[in-house]
Order: sequence, then structure tokens, then C-alpha cells
Amino acid sequence: MARRESSKPLVVFSILGTTLDRANRAQRWERWRPTVDLCRHDDLVVKRLELIYPPPARELAELVAQDVGSVSPETEVCLRPLDFSDPWDFEEVYGGLLDFTRGYRFRPEKERYLVHMTTGTHVAQICWFLLAESRHVPGALIQTSPPKKRGVGQVGKYSIIDLDLSRYDRIAQRFGVQTRDNLSFLKSGIDTKNAAFNRLIEHMERVVKHSKAPLLITGPTGAGKSLLAKKIYALRKQQRQVEGQLVEVNCATLRGDGAMSTLFGHKKGAFTGAVGDRPGLLMAAHQGVLFLDEIGELGLDEQAMLLRALEDKRFLPVGSDREVESDFTLIAGTNRDLWLRVEEGRFREDLLARINLWTFELPGLAARPEDVAPNLEYELDRFEEAEGRKASFNREARERFLTFATGPEGRWPGNFRDFNAAVTRMCTLAPGGRVDVPTVEEEVSRLRAQWRSPSARVAPGPVQPSLPEHILEGLDLFDRVQLEAVAGVCREAKSLSDAGRVLFAESRKKKANPNDADRLRKYLARFGLTFADVSS
Amino acid sequence: MKLIDGAFGEGGGQILRTSLSLSAITGQPVTIQNVRAGRAKPGLLRQHLTALQAAARVCGAEVEGDALGSTTVVFTPGAIQAGDYAFQVGSAGSAHLVLQTILPILLAADGPSEISVEGGTHNDHAPPFEFLAQAFLPLIHRMGAGVSATLVRPGFYPAGGGRVVLRVAPPGGPLGPLEVMERGPLAGQRCQALVAHLPYSVGQRELAAFSARVTWPTHGLEVVPMPASLGPGNAVVAELRFAHVTEVLTAFGSRGIRAEQVGRGLADQVRAYLSADAPVGEHLADQLLVPLAMGSGGRFRTGPLSLHARTNIAVIQQLLDVGVEVAQRDDGTVEVTVGAP
Repeated sequence: MARRESSKPLVVFSILGTTLDRANRAQRWERWRPTVDLCRHDDLVVKRLELIYPPPARELAELVAQDVGSVSPETEVCLRPLDFSDPWDFEEVYGGLLDFTRGYRFRPEKERYLVHMTTGTHVAQICWFLLAESRHVPGALIQTSPPKKRGVGQVGKYSIIDLDLSRYDRIAQRFGVQTRDNLSFLKSGIDTKNAAFNRLIEHMERVVKHSKAPLLITGPTGAGKSLLAKKIYALRKQQRQVEGQLVEVNCATLRGDGAMSTLFGHKKGAFTGAVGDRPGLLMAAHQGVLFLDEIGELGLDEQAMLLRALEDKRFLPVGSDREVESDFTLIAGTNRDLWLRVEEGRFREDLLARINLWTFELPGLAARPEDVAPNLEYELDRFEEAEGRKASFNREARERFLTFATGPEGRWPGNFRDFNAAVTRMCTLAPGGRVDVPTVEEEVSRLRAQWRSPSARVAPGPVQPSLPEHILEGLDLFDRVQLEAVAGVCREAKSLSDAGRVLFAESRKKKANPNDADRLRKYLARFGLTFADVSS
Repeated sequence: MKLIDGAFGEGGGQILRTSLSLSAITGQPVTIQNVRAGRAKPGLLRQHLTALQAAARVCGAEVEGDALGSTTVVFTPGAIQAGDYAFQVGSAGSAHLVLQTILPILLAADGPSEISVEGGTHNDHAPPFEFLAQAFLPLIHRMGAGVSATLVRPGFYPAGGGRVVLRVAPPGGPLGPLEVMERGPLAGQRCQALVAHLPYSVGQRELAAFSARVTWPTHGLEVVPMPASLGPGNAVVAELRFAHVTEVLTAFGSRGIRAEQVGRGLADQVRAYLSADAPVGEHLADQLLVPLAMGSGGRFRTGPLSLHARTNIAVIQQLLDVGVEVAQRDDGTVEVTVGAP
């Protein structure tokens, strides 16, 4: 027989009713006092009452606690002082209760929660509603009312309102405040304007709030899959849907024999080198979120095991004969067409069917011209945060950059990765932290060069030689292609340092002291060349 | 596994309590279905849940369905453990009903026990503490067990918060036989008006109205203030001690009911009991059935059996191999023989 939800101990949050719960000491048993009455029902046992009271009403709170103790010896009363200078001030009450619930250690797997709505000001009632609706309190609401029959000791009525039930959808929609906050949160606070993107985020927010099914995020490289996965995890955590951590792994890095044990763990002695037990990433994600980026790169054996782990929440570590359990929520990321991989026999169709329930296709930046401006603001904030100094555009510079970025030339093949690099470069080079038109022009030509001949950067085949024959003579195709690409960048650049910044744009992000110019000089020297030789 | 239908007969909590006691004593697992099916709030309420958990603790039972509102309970008893126990029952639910469930179990243990129950001791829904101490336990004592009850603190409805301590020394064998066919001569009578956090005069008025209707010695009338009570409360308790049986009758005071009315109501109960010549009253008849059936049997004479008692007999016969004979007598009373040869 399955244990019923109602067999979890019940915890109720109640604000002390400084009017309703107050009564003359002698006559208090003749009156209906909501907080005491709440603990008197014979089909509801409150295991713990979290009684929130204003410090000046300590004496009343203690009397209520004492009376609850006598009518309901099963109930533990915890007195929680919480001071509102004005209990009718919406902002203050909401903030106070929000802080209280954020600081509270909820254990929904062990306890059941109700919020008592009947006491406190109307403002407090609205705040309780919002906190329950936004799942800051992972429980339902309980409302109590006085007994119909008058007489000493009559027990009143109660009703439980579970906001997860669909009949409250319409009310819930009217209180969209927290939802808007969540949306903004998922968008990293960027006030995006692209309708398709906003719809996608709204849809995703609803899914994240109400479903624990796997999510599949597709989209080109740099479109923000990883950032979004982090945000989804943070939102789930905040709403107490998950307790564990976020475990993030790029499947492209999981190749060969180690992949299985990295993901699913192994027993000591499972293979040479397995000197101890290793729990694996799936175990690390227990009760949390597992983000598998580039899931299309996962090997077929690992796919089979992952499918089992998703369906049964259990799997077999390498070399172990005992299955282990891990209950995680999966977010998968890919920039590939997984259906194509299925046709090629490189991705399991059943696994795709399992993770394909909620698919969100993140559009590239070029498909969201409306969002370039809001993202520019976001990148400027990020720069300030990272560098500790403020950077901004003057009006003309801003217009010039946005015209380029949203125009036909703004292809942004690396999406937000490119965009972030461009903004970072401009802010770094801007005189006095103020990006002006020349700085923008310089960046625009840099981007044009980067994007103009993508074949020069990555083309696998022979390229049209632009360097003189005597330089290329005797070089492997391998070196020729690279050298041609480097020379292309140098021709567009103003100086050796400038070219170095572009060429080593990725690795310099990770370095405290990038010396791109020196790296470039050494590279050219290997072919007996200088910057002047290739830039002219 | 015995299957008990909780919707049967009176369909209330008594079926659950009797089933639990007898399951623990016989070691026979039971499944009780349709628990309290006939009631407005079916399934286990908190006092039933407390009784269930208490029964499970004293015999180390495994329980399924021990949740509020549960309508199916599977109870698999283990060995009965004598010892010290403490239970709590809220909502001013009666401590008596919990004790009633576990007392028979601990009477079958191999050592003495002390049970403390917190909760209501004086409310409308169950016999008060005085009934337990003065009417019921002396009969158990006569069957060979050492039993005593102490009221540490009264718990009136609605505040509750009382505490009763019951000490049990099992007879070291089955309970002996008991026969209550006659009251015997009157040996004493006492009427107490219990008054907690209410004017003393309330008790005086109740006793005055009571004694105006029945013949009662003045020294057997007493107002008893109960300052230890957590909440206010009032009850008038009449104790009639005969040679072979003691009956305790109670009327509760309540807001909106005049003290005189309470006193007169109790007087009417006393007159009815005295005129009926049925030595065992309704409540006592109910409570004696399980101890008689688990022990060496016996006989008693009572008034017409309530549905409650008849349901109880049916449950006992499902769980124990014991005959119960109910014979209607010409004088209007009923003779109940348990373990009839």
C-alpha cells in the first residue's frame, strides 16, 4: 500500500491574529480563535505550527501557543517574531514574508505545508497567496471559518485551497507578477522584444514550473543554451522543485572508455585504474538537474544506459552488479539535427523520443534583431561587473553599432559568443570608457573581416593563395591554410596587437595577462615573416 | 488474515478499537475495511489514529493505512511489551478511548505497565475519568488484575490538556470469571460537581437542583474546584456504590444551559437507573465485553443492548472463538453470557 500524501507530517504557517486570536483570558474558550481552532479539527493534525507574530504581541503569541498545546498535544508550536512597521504596506509585508520563506528550510519530501490565510491583514493574505502561487511556499492554502452553531467549544470549518489545481488557473493568471519575474529571470533580466523568443521563454517557464520531464534545448552554437540551462536550474531551485545541484557536462568531451564511468560511475576494480568507487555524474545530479550539452555526441552504449536511467531512475555503474538510484531532471542541449543522427544510426530513436517531449529551439542572434539593443545593455552591465568599471556608448556610436548589428551585414555566426566578444573589445578599447564612433567603426571592420571569408578561417580544402608564392613554397596544406587565415586577419588589423586580439580572442578570455602580440610574432617568425610582411 | 468490515452494524470507531485489542491479544493480523464508513467524516480521525498508534506500540505491530482519513487499516501485531507508555490525543478527544483500546492488551502482557495519556478527560463523547476509576476498573480488579487510575490533571472540553495515568498489573494468567447479576445492597453514594475556572456557585446550584429530585445524603454532595485544569469546564458526577457493582452517571454543564437544568438532568438519570433494576449500565456493558471474552467469561444483567454493544459482540465473535449469549428476560432486562458452556 502506498503511503498517502496525508501521512506526511503537516506544517502550518500562520500569522498571529492580533484581533481574531485575542481574547480575554477568562473567556477565551468561548470564542472562536482561528489559530487555536485550526489545531482542533479531528481530521487534521498539525504537527508543527509556525506562528509568526509581531514582537509587541509576544504575550498573546505565548498564550495562543499554550492553548494550542492543550487542545492539540501533538502540535509543536514554533514562535517566529517578524516585525512590520506597517502591516498594511504591501512592499514591506511581501518582502518580510518572502525573506522568511526564503530562509525557511522546507523539506517537501518529508513534510506537507499549508499556509493559514485567515489571520493577518488583507495585505498579508495577498502576500501569502503570491508566495504560495509562486511556490516560494511549497504548499496549499488553508482557510478557516467560525462554527455555524453557536456554543462553547464548537469547532469551525476549514477548507484547503491548492493553487496547483486547474480551477484556480484563472485567479492565478490575474496574479501574474511572480510569473513575470520568473520570465525576466530566465531571460537574465534582459528585456527582450523578439516575439518568438519571448513566447519560447514563456512556454518554457510554464513547463519548468509544472513538469519534471526532460527538456531539450536546440540552437546554434553561442545561442545561450548553457546559460539558459543554468537559469532553469536556478529557477527550479528557487521554487524548491529540486534540492540537489546542477551538474553540467559537454558530451563531446566524453569520448572512449572513460565516458561510461564518468557518467554512471564505477565500482572499485571495475577496470585497470579504477582504484576506488566513483559515483559518476548522474549520482551527483541526484535530486538536482543534469545538463548534457551536445547530447548528439554521446556514444550509443551511454545512450542506452541514459535511457534506462531516465525511465526507471536507476542504472548499473560500471563493474557493479547492483543498480543504483538517481532521481534527476534532465536538460539536454544540441546544435545538431538529432533526427538526422537517428537516421544515420548514431542516435537512439527511443532516447530522442524520451527527451523530445519539450523541445525549445533557441534562435540565433541574427534571427532576433529586436533583441540586439536589450542585449547590448546586458553586455555593458556584464562588462561593468567583470571589469569593475563602467562603459557606455555615445548616441552616435550606439546608433552606428546597432545599424550594423541588426542590418544585413550583422550575421553573428557565433551568436552571443561573437556579440559578447565585440562589446568587450569596444569597451576595452573605448577612450575613457566611452565608446565613440571610431571605436565602433574599427570593430565593424574587424567583424566584417572575421565574417567575410569564413572559408579563410576554417576551410578544410585548398584556398586561393593570397601570399606570395615564395612564402608558401615548401609548406604543407595544413600550414598554408592557417597562415593564409592569419595573414587575412593581419591585413585587416591596424597593428600586431590588434590582430593578436582577434586571433586569440577565445583564449585571451581565460588569461589574466594575454600577450597575443607576442604569440602572433612568434608564429609568424616560424615562417620567417613579420607583421609588416603579411599586413601589406 | 482476518477481514473485518468497519461498515458493519453501528459502523463507528468501536469496531476499530475492539479489533485492534483482540488482534494484539491473539497475535492474529487483521484488516479493517470501510473504517467508519457510516460517518459524516469517514476513515480515521485523530483520536482513532492515536488509538491505532498506541495499540501498535504496545504490541510492536506493523501498520498500513495509519493516516488521517484512511479507510483501510492492516494491523499485524508482534509481541506485547509491558512497560511505560505515554500517548497524546488532541482536539480534546477522549483519553478514555485510547486507554480502552490498550488496557486489554496490557492485561495480557507478562509484566506491569504504566500508561500516561494526555487529552480530554471530561467530555460529552465518552465516559469521564470517574467512570473509569470507580465503575469499570474495580470490576477488572475483581477479575484478578491490579489496576489503578490517577487523574493528574482534568481536561475539559474544549481546552483539553488533561492527563490520566493508569497502572496495570496483569493477573499472571487469564482474567478470572465475573458475574454481575444483582446490585446488592447500597453501600454508598456521592455526587460531585466539578468546577474548573467557573464560579463555585455554579456547582452549588447544580447540587441543589439534583438533591431536590433524588433522595441523597447531604454529606454525599460536594463541589470540587479544579484549579489545575487548563480551561474552564463543569460536570456533575453521581456515584452509586452497591455491594456488587458501582455505577457512575454524568451530566455536563455548558454555556447556555442553566446549572439547575444540569443538576435535574443528572437526577433523572439516577432515577432511571435505580428504577430499572439492571445492575450493569449501558456504558459498563459495552466495556465489559472484551475483558470477559478474553478471560474466563462471565455473566451480567443489563438493560436493552445498544446497537453499539451488539456490534461489539459481533466483532468479538469474529476474532475470538467464544460464545456470547444474549437472553431477554421477562422483567425487561437482558442477560449476557460470555463464554457460555
